[in-house]
Amino acid sequence: MTAHLQLSDVSVSFNGFVAVNALNLAVGKGELRCLIGPNGAGKTTALDLICGKIKPTAGSITLRNTELTALEEHQIARAGVGRKFQVPSVFKELTVRENLQVAYSKRTGVFANVMRSCRGEETDGLDMLAQLVGLENALDKPAAYLSHGQTQWLEIGMLVAQDTELILMDEPTAGMTAQETLKTADLFNRLKGKHTLLVVEHDMGFVKAIGDVISVMHQGRLLAEGTAAEVERNEEVRRAYLGSGGITGA
Amino acid sequence: MTAPLVLPAPAHRTRQAAGRTRTQVLLYAFVCLAVFVIPLLIDSDFLLNKIARYIVLGMLAMSLALSWGYAGILNLGQAMSFGLGSYAMAMALKLKTVPVHTGPEGLPDFMVWNNVPSLPWFWEPFHSLGFAIAAGIIVPVCAAAALGWFMFRGRVTGVYVAIITLAAMVVVNLVIIDQQRFTGGFNGITDLAQLKLFDITFDAYGRSTYYLVACCLTASLFLALAVTKTKAGLIIQAIRDHENRVRYFGYDVAAYKIFAFSLSAAIAGLAGMLYTVVMEFASPTFLGVPLSLSVVVWCAVGGRQSLVGAFLGAVLVAGMQGALSESKTFLETWTLVMGGLFVIVVLFLPKGLAGIAELLSVRIARLRQRRNATVAEPKPTEVGP
Repeated sequence: MTAHLQLSDVSVSFNGFVAVNALNLAVGKGELRCLIGPNGAGKTTALDLICGKIKPTAGSITLRNTELTALEEHQIARAGVGRKFQVPSVFKELTVRENLQVAYSKRTGVFANVMRSCRGEETDGLDMLAQLVGLENALDKPAAYLSHGQTQWLEIGMLVAQDTELILMDEPTAGMTAQETLKTADLFNRLKGKHTLLVVEHDMGFVKAIGDVISVMHQGRLLAEGTAAEVERNEEVRRAYLGSGGITGA
Repeated sequence: MTAPLVLPAPAHRTRQAAGRTRTQVLLYAFVCLAVFVIPLLIDSDFLLNKIARYIVLGMLAMSLALSWGYAGILNLGQAMSFGLGSYAMAMALKLKTVPVHTGPEGLPDFMVWNNVPSLPWFWEPFHSLGFAIAAGIIVPVCAAAALGWFMFRGRVTGVYVAIITLAAMVVVNLVIIDQQRFTGGFNGITDLAQLKLFDITFDAYGRSTYYLVACCLTASLFLALAVTKTKAGLIIQAIRDHENRVRYFGYDVAAYKIFAFSLSAAIAGLAGMLYTVVMEFASPTFLGVPLSLSVVVWCAVGGRQSLVGAFLGAVLVAGMQGALSESKTFLETWTLVMGGLFVIVVLFLPKGLAGIAELLSVRIARLRQRRNATVAEPKPTEVGP
């Protein structure tokens, strides 16, 4: 199977500190891959590298055989990479509906969008999407008034609206209640297959609920890869997590 | 304003966004209508000319609201576009002025005094009024697009944008003052002919000029409003809110910023051309720092996130400036009064005068909603502020 997303020997260093060191990662099409690891392992940096927020100092990143490292952020997004940030990043001054409209980015050109009114054909679809993420009653509320959990949901909804092949999720369930986390897991299970997902998560219960294959990072490298059970048995992984109460306590 | 009351209740589902747009359109139409009605109530040509002047300055403030309030680009050099437009018009009108004031072959008087033998090449095309009007918009747009290209492609943001735009304007200003032989230097370009368009003569003190200004205001106000209502307008506001996030949705942020910046320059250029017609001269002060910074103050007072708010703010503050500086009691202290007013507005009305209107309309909408409350949004905890 050829990988949908392929990272080959990707390295990046900041002022001599090597955050990601010769990372190799291959994610198949439609797969939901979880990325775990102790704090400072380079998980978020790996996502930053894929979406273009950070440029690698060495190595190559390809999506569908398209080299991403040479592209700018917006070009990478157009190539099919969507990103949810660790700190929920939505447009606080805009309403929930407007947030979703911005995220729905089939056409990205300035002049194509000057000719289009905001209340286009996609409105009904966005209303349904708002229902999916439980924000149908907040559509006309500015995003600044949402709770933390709702903001998380809004950003997830925005990624669904963006509808990219590859979705990168950085701690999507942070700040959610157990019930909300369950709902998120359910949504992710529905997204996989159609989208390729790469999820950074700390909540092992959530990881077990959604992840087929788990990749473990440690000190900028890939330490282990396998199912939840395999990873938990792995001696190196146990050692890496020592001091933080083992893998389930991380 | 009373505009929200005119709104008919929506048939079924309340679409707040659509309702807001309708309120805005009504409000804008009302303001434009008021501008057109003014000459019917005023008898003095002198006063009418003064009001036309304030309206042009209002257009300039509105153009800044588009770039500052909507796109988050604080252009401290907004008067650069204004001045370029103003000079384009002045050059054309100078060449049309009656031969008494000019040298041989219609050479402008200041060129005669500066021993310029013949009309420089870049003055030649200004024999055509059509070219001048096009240049009055295209030159500021190109200047803004070029400046924007360097700034926004290089991801310059915030206070640095303010500094660069201000510096760029000062450079243009100095060049104009320095090149006295071609630009009239400090004196600017004076002694202009009256603008003649489609067999109508626009006397600065006549009603025709006033109505020309009013038409241009209406057109540019609604054009700007329409742009803010498009998807591009929404993306521009998203950029103001969280620029980096927008990139990851595939939008080229720099392109959108250049677009907003250039559109704002186009409106400012148009306003500059009108200013020349109303004032009957062009001067380096039209792209000077004091004017450019005043525009920012007007915008802040009127409400930078509202196009019509910025317009009204400019008319109000510029009008007050005029009235205070001419009154006997405030002859010496009027700048102090203006400064105090500005401080009060910034402290207590961060969204400017438009903020008050917005607050009122929200209250009214909430009242109406509560009255119509049936099944929509059962919120038992909602208590009035």
